[in-house]
Amino acid sequence: MNRRQFLQAGAGLALASALPGRAAQASAQVVIIGGGVGGATAAKYLKLANPALKVTIIETNRTYIRPYGSSEVLTGHARMEDLTVSYDALHHRYGVDFLFDTVTGFDPDKKQVRTAGRQSLAYDKLIVSPGIRLDYAAIPGYSQAIADTRIPSGWIPGPQTALLARQLQAMKPGGTFVIVAPPTPYRCPPGPYERAALVTEWMRRHNPTGKVLILDPKDNFVTDATMQLGWHRLYGYDIPADFMQDMPAGVQNTGRPAPIAWVRAKDGGTTRGIDARSLTVHTEGGPVQADVLNVIPPMRAGKLAFDLGLTNETGWCPVERRTFESSVHADVYVIGDASIADAMPKSGFSANTQAKVTAQAIVDTLAGRAPAEPVWGNTCYALAGSDYGLFVADVFRLKGGKITQVSGKRYLPLDASPTQIRLGAVYQQAWLKTFTEDCFA
Amino acid sequence: MKSKPFPGLSTAPSFPRGRESGLLWAPAHAGATVLLVAGLLFAQSAFAMPTASRTTSLGPAELRATLASMPKGDAARGAILHRSHMCASCHGDDGVAPTGNWASLAGQKAAYTYKSLLDYQTGRRLEHGRANLMRVAVQVLSRQDMADLATYLADLPAVAAPVPESSPQTAKAAELLVRRGDPTRLMTPCASCHGARGQGGVNATPALAGQTVGAFTRAMLDYREGRRVSDAHEGMRQFSRRLSLEEIDALAIHYARLGKRREGAQP
Amino acid sequence: MGALMKPMIGAVLIAVAVAWLTPAQAAGQPSGSAMAHTCAGCHGTQGRLGTVEFVPLAGLPEREFLKAMGDFRSGKRAATLMGHVARGFSDDELKAMARYFATMK
Repeated sequence: MNRRQFLQAGAGLALASALPGRAAQASAQVVIIGGGVGGATAAKYLKLANPALKVTIIETNRTYIRPYGSSEVLTGHARMEDLTVSYDALHHRYGVDFLFDTVTGFDPDKKQVRTAGRQSLAYDKLIVSPGIRLDYAAIPGYSQAIADTRIPSGWIPGPQTALLARQLQAMKPGGTFVIVAPPTPYRCPPGPYERAALVTEWMRRHNPTGKVLILDPKDNFVTDATMQLGWHRLYGYDIPADFMQDMPAGVQNTGRPAPIAWVRAKDGGTTRGIDARSLTVHTEGGPVQADVLNVIPPMRAGKLAFDLGLTNETGWCPVERRTFESSVHADVYVIGDASIADAMPKSGFSANTQAKVTAQAIVDTLAGRAPAEPVWGNTCYALAGSDYGLFVADVFRLKGGKITQVSGKRYLPLDASPTQIRLGAVYQQAWLKTFTEDCFA
Repeated sequence: MKSKPFPGLSTAPSFPRGRESGLLWAPAHAGATVLLVAGLLFAQSAFAMPTASRTTSLGPAELRATLASMPKGDAARGAILHRSHMCASCHGDDGVAPTGNWASLAGQKAAYTYKSLLDYQTGRRLEHGRANLMRVAVQVLSRQDMADLATYLADLPAVAAPVPESSPQTAKAAELLVRRGDPTRLMTPCASCHGARGQGGVNATPALAGQTVGAFTRAMLDYREGRRVSDAHEGMRQFSRRLSLEEIDALAIHYARLGKRREGAQP
Repeated sequence: MGALMKPMIGAVLIAVAVAWLTPAQAAGQPSGSAMAHTCAGCHGTQGRLGTVEFVPLAGLPEREFLKAMGDFRSGKRAATLMGHVARGFSDDELKAMARYFATMK
């Protein structure tokens, strides 16, 4: 179904219920499309702020598979089951209604959405939290079919994650695990590099002559200095000259080969295409042969954002920054990875705090109040090894119409002590629990 | 001005020149000894948190032997370690916890602190996530470091901790348990082991004076509900089960109030 | 004496710099609850938390919250990332957050 068909499907809706609750704020209806971090958190915090609201999440899947921490499945630190999150608490504890269905129609004028199961829902406010879409076709030679069967991306967790884990475990001794990193913007900025680190650590025990190679269309990444310092300490990785000046005294490259390498754009790391049959990556620097190939393709807003006509020419969704109300349709809010949020990274924590700000803005607007002054945060932990925790920590405010980072320094200091670094790894594991609870329980 | 941050420490808190590729963060190719250490680190990683059911207490004989072999502590060195290893962050610069969530350590018996640090390091104390934090935080400490920290903290004065409002009856009930115990429940007075002023006793029996209400209550509940088994003589596991929750709260307030009054502190 | 004075002067300079750099408030200050919600990913919804590694903030006396955040912000208290987070909030904002958490039981 293309976008025009999609909107037509919505326009054909019967006005059965005459939109109850539009007038009365107490029984106002908020419909949320997408039960990921953004949608779930929005539903929970809407009900916390005003239990009288009727809140319905439309979600295709009966359970959620969390992407954050999902690289731990590759190395056996976590199982696929550990990633699975139930919606029971949102329903039973907070009274959030669920419709497990797929949205197929949308009428922004009549404020209704329709689903494949022929349900039509009227809304006073609609929150869309569609996540990302992986643009497999952006890389010549790659496709979703290839990703599902031979060259998994595993960036949206699911069967591809499990496939990649099996491929890693079956990789021949001394083989090369190649990660093709995505261009910005993409979900979970430190993620590809944390994955590389965890796979390198895993290989030290299970495939000691194996190697990890990151091919990157970028020259930098979020946490690049702290992550590389971790690789240096743990895996003997040589730090490139342009990062060396900021490193603490005593950090010295050895010139010896390391089991992990990062080939940047300036060194020819940009991928031009792949040959799926031979597992060859054609980069600007020449062909690279992989034994296991993990391609993380460019990303855009989730498909639903396109279907609903909420995206602009960038492939992401423009929003009014204070409330995340769509710049395209009134009373529709786009939160999470799909939104254009200036300095905020596309992370679960960002989606979580965007959801809270938007939930409060909706409650205020429905009550006839002006939306309050917003504040957002982002706290992402990442690992360079099981014992080596690093992070990004931000507070964001609205300044001159843009979302701006106001807290200054973002990263683990390069001169952090071993205790700080170890505690970071403990907090990373604890965070997986507490963060999931704040969103879903 | 360039200075060596902590001269003379065996467990340097930073990565001084020449040791950067040393034991702590070992590259994979750095040799057999290092690999062994790396393997050990992995086994103790955040991922590999053992379950509490696997933890056992140090028995009375082992405890005696452990305390007998405790190195002589150096308080000055302990003071430096207290800061460089981030102990001070949660337990306070002066060993007085900045919030009721963490334990105050000022005036604690050196034997108890030493034994606790060992229990954390070996995974004997792993009652929940907070104990796991300690397990990781003390990973790089040597026995000498532990003795130094313990000695430093023992020398600091215990300070009364903030308490919630309570009735005179509560105070009386606690007083009775502390001084007289309850023979009908086969409970010896708390003071007989922990001292009349909560100053602690022999065999690594901890001081309780000035302990935060949060830490005291958590310890009692962890003993009571079987999560914590670090009492060598099993005394606290027994007594905590004979106490009501109200009595535990009353005792928490009783002990929190003991110790030096801090200027500007709430009564 | 001189050696002792230097870090103290450093600390004062940092404190002044932090006071200068923290976002100016008054007009557009977010509510205590809005700011507190940014803590919830680690410290629990409304500051409520079981016994995990992080500190529960619900019911924390205001002065304890303010002391902790003030010391994190100035760098007096060592942290992994709390120093970074604390530098995103002004004195008045910390007070509003402290009030919010103190009333949560």
